Amino acid sequence: MKAAAFALISTLVVGRAVQAGRSADPARSAESLALPTTQLKDIAPAFTTVTYSKDIAPLIADRCAMCHHENGAAPFSLLTYSDVKRRATQIALVTSRRYMPPWKADPADGPFVGQHPLTDAEIALFQQWAGDGAPEGDARDLPPLPGRQRWSAGWQLGTPDLVVSLPEPYMLPAGGADVFRIFVIPLPVNATRFVRGLEFRPGNPKVVHHANIRVDRTAASRQMDDADPAPGYSGLILRSADYPEGHFLGWTPGQVAPLLPNDYSWRLDPRTDLVVEIHMQPSGKAEAVQPSVGLYFSAQPPTRIPAMLRLGHQNIDIPAGESNYVVTDSYVLPVDVEVQAVQPHAHYRARDVRGEARLPDGTVEELIHVGDWDFRWQHVYRFAKPFTLPKGTTLSMRWVYDNSAANVRNPEHPPKRARWGQRSSDEMGDLWIQVLTKNEPDLVTLTHAFRAKVAAEDVIGYETELERHPDEAGLHDDAALLYLEVGQPDRAVAHFTRSLALKGPSAPAFYNLGTALTIARRFDEAAYEYQQAIKADPSYAKAHNNLGNVWLAQGKFEPAIQEFTAVVGLDPKSAGALANLAGAYAAAGAFDRAAETVDAALRLSPPEPLASDLRARAERYRRRER
Amino acid sequence: MGARSFFLRVIVFWMHWFTVLAFSSLTVFDLDNRAIDPFKAAAGARATVFLFTATDCPISNRYAPEVQRVYRAFAPKGVRFFLVYPNPADTPDAIRVHAKSFGYAADALRDPKQELAKLASATVTPEAAIFTGQRLVYHGRIDDRFVDLGLERPAPTVHDLADALTAVVAGVPIAHPATQAVGCFIADFAR
Repeated sequence: MKAAAFALISTLVVGRAVQAGRSADPARSAESLALPTTQLKDIAPAFTTVTYSKDIAPLIADRCAMCHHENGAAPFSLLTYSDVKRRATQIALVTSRRYMPPWKADPADGPFVGQHPLTDAEIALFQQWAGDGAPEGDARDLPPLPGRQRWSAGWQLGTPDLVVSLPEPYMLPAGGADVFRIFVIPLPVNATRFVRGLEFRPGNPKVVHHANIRVDRTAASRQMDDADPAPGYSGLILRSADYPEGHFLGWTPGQVAPLLPNDYSWRLDPRTDLVVEIHMQPSGKAEAVQPSVGLYFSAQPPTRIPAMLRLGHQNIDIPAGESNYVVTDSYVLPVDVEVQAVQPHAHYRARDVRGEARLPDGTVEELIHVGDWDFRWQHVYRFAKPFTLPKGTTLSMRWVYDNSAANVRNPEHPPKRARWGQRSSDEMGDLWIQVLTKNEPDLVTLTHAFRAKVAAEDVIGYETELERHPDEAGLHDDAALLYLEVGQPDRAVAHFTRSLALKGPSAPAFYNLGTALTIARRFDEAAYEYQQAIKADPSYAKAHNNLGNVWLAQGKFEPAIQEFTAVVGLDPKSAGALANLAGAYAAAGAFDRAAETVDAALRLSPPEPLASDLRARAERYRRRER
Repeated sequence: MGARSFFLRVIVFWMHWFTVLAFSSLTVFDLDNRAIDPFKAAAGARATVFLFTATDCPISNRYAPEVQRVYRAFAPKGVRFFLVYPNPADTPDAIRVHAKSFGYAADALRDPKQELAKLASATVTPEAAIFTGQRLVYHGRIDDRFVDLGLERPAPTVHDLADALTAVVAGVPIAHPATQAVGCFIADFAR
């Protein structure tokens, strides 16, 4: 008896605490009634009962259920009254703070694909409903919930043409700091396909927070994964893992990149790997993480290829305690473009990020502004209506960082100097902008003009990383490739030499060094490295081929012919190998053999432009001309 | 043997009777649905810690390893720990599965009417309360990792619960006897 009375009183106390300030309080209702009628009209909705069935369920189905369903991206489901009721206060709070639905961009930007903001009136409905005790209302008011079926069906873009997942799950520890891990998943296609859609399923939505997805057309990422006994590897995304032909592939909860039109796909060749970097938050117990990816193919190759522009600097160096460190960058467009999407990127210390376009007539368009940057919500913002920016437009970014102790997201306490780096404890500042040009010549102009800018920044970034991690062979390999790109082959030689010393002898390592030496026109040294590569792997066709080229450059025709013959022996179906052999014969003055070899190459029906080149060479060799 | 077990049963019965009589206003249950008085169960302890949690609250689950650390550090120093589940939807079976999968070592209690939560001034899960005897000496967060919903530090900078227990064990005043915890609202469980 006594116990029951105690329980009753305490329930009332809780009820009043939750309802404080709400119209359900009789005293306040009376006060409101005394207001003039015009104001009464404004607050009239407060007098109607807000119920789950009539008001809340439709909002949840429309704005929340795409993630908050069984096996969805969110950590719990919100599909039933009991699911929602027992989080009513929570929902009222997170919606009023606009923490949910997650959308970090300024509401005035865009509009963007997948933007589902709640209006102030809708937020007020959640508030009132929770304050009134979360009543269910009349179940007959429940709208049909097609969403419930739609979201629980699994793949949101429909049945994929190809599904790949991690061969074995990664085990995430129960606690500790967030984990970033890079997984390399082979894409088993035996012929070239064209991809118009990619859907990422986290596998364990409780712990998977977001994913960076790239494509590696080399074996480099796979080798990093193989070197680490557990699934995936920790470290850096390699330079060879990139966005395919200017397409964004990343994933954050609630975002599914829409299927692209058939003519707007990206090329997927055999022996390509998907590189998926996953940000995981420990859940409190050890968790198995096994994400999967669905791919959707187009029947035709792309006719439109976007370009990916990247503003930002890699010389970021923020003193400890600095609360207002600014990074700016800009770029003047050399051609007209249509802006498709933007993705701002930074780590924990960024506070305010803003991207703008200043048109030649002086008008300024805000591309993106995130006033309370949160590293954990790295959306790709796709414009619902792509728009044109004319040649001469200045694209710009301004990122503000807070490396003081007042920034609670600061990964270092007390704060430490922060420099550029891919690891989440370092800092980055990039604005990626995906654009389409009007035609292919414009695309070539833009990508050529832009490549130099990006490569110059990347050199700074790699030197910074190498200062920190001087013994990471993968970094040296990437730096070497970068130096080749910017026309500094001697620096490439130095990095490949270091990589070879770190990784130990292997045919590819000798070959890489030989290639850099060849480009540096250090032919004797190059020949030596190619010979080492061939000694390590006599069937390494690329080494034979390049060695042949070195001998040719030095006028040593007989050894050149020997090497190109070896290549043909290793790959008899390669018209290119026969073409190189023919060139060596011609250089040596053996025009009959050269013509015969070209004919053999032509019998293999090579693709253009090689076929035309071979026919022209056949003519020349018969005229005994090189 | 028979006589011994009979004797034990009498003691257990007597203890139950005593509990109900002395603390009839507080109805918390163990996982066998027996009403118990946790203060009595913790008699002789230097302090009693109640850790309010819920099987499906992501934030309180993320604290499981930290709770284990505090438990391992202070249980040997005479501190009694209870996990308290204030959500009536958390059944004994669900709690057993939960405690096992998150590796909790402390005894679990059900507080389906949130009476212990009110006594401890706990409003969210996870939240901790420390009693010495029946006096509430600390309530609030476990540490400062979560600043707000959607705003968290990469690692905690202040370990409030452990600091408070260190003070209790040393017999000195607790510097911050009340802090604000961040998590899932216990009020929602009362509906």
